[in-house]
Amino acid sequence: MTEYLIRRILQSILVLFLISLVTFGLIHAAPGGPTQMMISPGMSPAAAKVQMHNLGLDKSIPEQYWIWIKNLLTGDLGKTFKNNIPVGDILWPTMKNTFVLMSFSWVISMIIAIPWGIYNSTKPYGISDQTANFVSYVGFAMPAFWFGIILQQVFSLELNWLPLSDMYAMDKQGNFIDLLYHLILPCTVLILANLAAYSKYSRSSMLEVLEQDYIRTARAKGVPERKVIFRHALRNALIPIITVLGMELPTLVVGATLTESVFNWPGMGRLFVDMARAREYSVLMAIALVTAVVVVLGNLIADILYKLVDPRVQLGRKGGKSA
Amino acid sequence: MAEKLLEVRNLTTGFLTDKGFVKATDRISVSIEKGKTLCLVGESGSGKSVTSLSIMRLIDYAGGVILEGNINFKGQDLAAKKQEELKEIRGNKISMIFQDPMSALNPVFTVGDQIAESLSLHQNKNKDEAWKEAVELLRMVGIPSPEIRAKQYPNQLSGGMCQRVVIAIALAAKPELLIADEPTTALDVTVQAQILELLQDLKEKLGTSILLITHDMGVAAEMADHIAVMYAGAIVEQGTVEEIFSNPSHPYTVGLLQSIPGFEGERGGELYTIKGTIPALGNLPQGCRFNPRCPHVMDKCRQVEPGDIKIGSEHFTKCWLYEDKEKAAAALGKGESNHG
Repeated sequence: MTEYLIRRILQSILVLFLISLVTFGLIHAAPGGPTQMMISPGMSPAAAKVQMHNLGLDKSIPEQYWIWIKNLLTGDLGKTFKNNIPVGDILWPTMKNTFVLMSFSWVISMIIAIPWGIYNSTKPYGISDQTANFVSYVGFAMPAFWFGIILQQVFSLELNWLPLSDMYAMDKQGNFIDLLYHLILPCTVLILANLAAYSKYSRSSMLEVLEQDYIRTARAKGVPERKVIFRHALRNALIPIITVLGMELPTLVVGATLTESVFNWPGMGRLFVDMARAREYSVLMAIALVTAVVVVLGNLIADILYKLVDPRVQLGRKGGKSA
Repeated sequence: MAEKLLEVRNLTTGFLTDKGFVKATDRISVSIEKGKTLCLVGESGSGKSVTSLSIMRLIDYAGGVILEGNINFKGQDLAAKKQEELKEIRGNKISMIFQDPMSALNPVFTVGDQIAESLSLHQNKNKDEAWKEAVELLRMVGIPSPEIRAKQYPNQLSGGMCQRVVIAIALAAKPELLIADEPTTALDVTVQAQILELLQDLKEKLGTSILLITHDMGVAAEMADHIAVMYAGAIVEQGTVEEIFSNPSHPYTVGLLQSIPGFEGERGGELYTIKGTIPALGNLPQGCRFNPRCPHVMDKCRQVEPGDIKIGSEHFTKCWLYEDKEKAAAALGKGESNHG
């Protein structure tokens, strides 16, 4: 296990390095640059050159990458071109905001969707199952920006029950109750979308397991139906569900661009859009890096969970992961 | 006559399809005496497994419905019971072992756990006692170093060992009836013999009755006290093992026996096959269900379905040939029939 973890971490470092290389190249290959906003048309070429030099943009791209990665290794993510703010000061609070929104909706979606999916698998095509089907179609079919705006229109502008946008009211920064108020609408949008996927996955996964021979063996043994479902079937059905959850894990930090934009949530999705527009290279690189780290981490956690759930899974052995 | 442990009367099981109920078994009547073995023989799709799953009432979970008949087990009609009431019977009084042992065990629990579960369900044993007895059961079914094996998962065991584990689970609560649905079909030939021997041993040791389902007449010859031959959902012939083998009567049974390689006919000769295929259940022919494939088919066979005709003390056949014995003897070329 330890050996496996060490190897996985070393692999991850290589993956992260390659990702940073590619992202760096891509960001710099994009047309335009940060200086577009900082160099005024009236500026003399010499002054513009000085400006470029000060920002370090006159160096070649490999050189710039070298400087970036050298700083990264000392824990320095760089500073913004505009106002010279350290990237960490922008990134960490934003990430916290995103985490609040995403973990809240993620946990609620799981609490509703997984038991619902399991229940529906025991009564396929029943009323509850059909309802889940309908909700899934609606959830998949409605884009977040549209559904979000409808919710704002109805619950905020017409009924005036809930706040329109933002994380806190102006005069209630840091107030937990106020935060919950602000969470309701964006979470509803996110939950509806997740609900569809999670309940469908758990239903189909359970249905497949319930048809297996070992479930028949359990029933032939006289195991009560409740235990058949929760003891014998669920653990086997969890394996594909873990895969989905592992893939969703990164969104906890990366955020939901559309929902955050509609509800003006000060999170990562919105930050990324803003920073991409401003060509803030160091912030973009930091976001890309953080994203890559959580994706790698999500996969690692999923693999370890497989091992806990399914004894057939041999971590780290060649071709060891059997279905 | 010995005491009847299980008596199935007119069992008809159907599956709901677009065209209404399709009958997978049609008025099956069999009985098993205490300590005896009944073999249900027939080719794939003849309804053997549906019959066994119906007796266990596991057919409910496979989408089947018992349309008619009763299943009398020690004075209780299993066909009329609710699912919740059956957990006292299943795995306790009647156990079942299955065709594919590799998939019949839950991959995420150790084999010891899976045996112990049966013990704690039916014998109120606590965890330690159940585990100890699970190890003993593994020893009884012939698994070497059972203490170690008990802690292993099914994927670490061979097919033959898995089947021994399945048998151990089935025998955990000392059932009175063991239903074995093609228990050796998925195993290597050498392992098949070992498993059959094990079942025979356990039957003698524990006095368990066995309902053995097989498509292999050779297995039936070795194991059975009584044989019931199934074809397209119905029992076409039944009797004691001696009656069936010395005096096979229904043309289908005769065909089955001739199909055993090396049973009749010489080496290198062509293997015998019964022409045609088993009819689809929703699409049975009029009259006798075997008539399209029968070498002795008569006009009557195409119009009216034969009922049970008694031709021996416990020997019944569903064939119009036996309405008139001399005609039968001539047709089958067996000379004078000495039963009756």
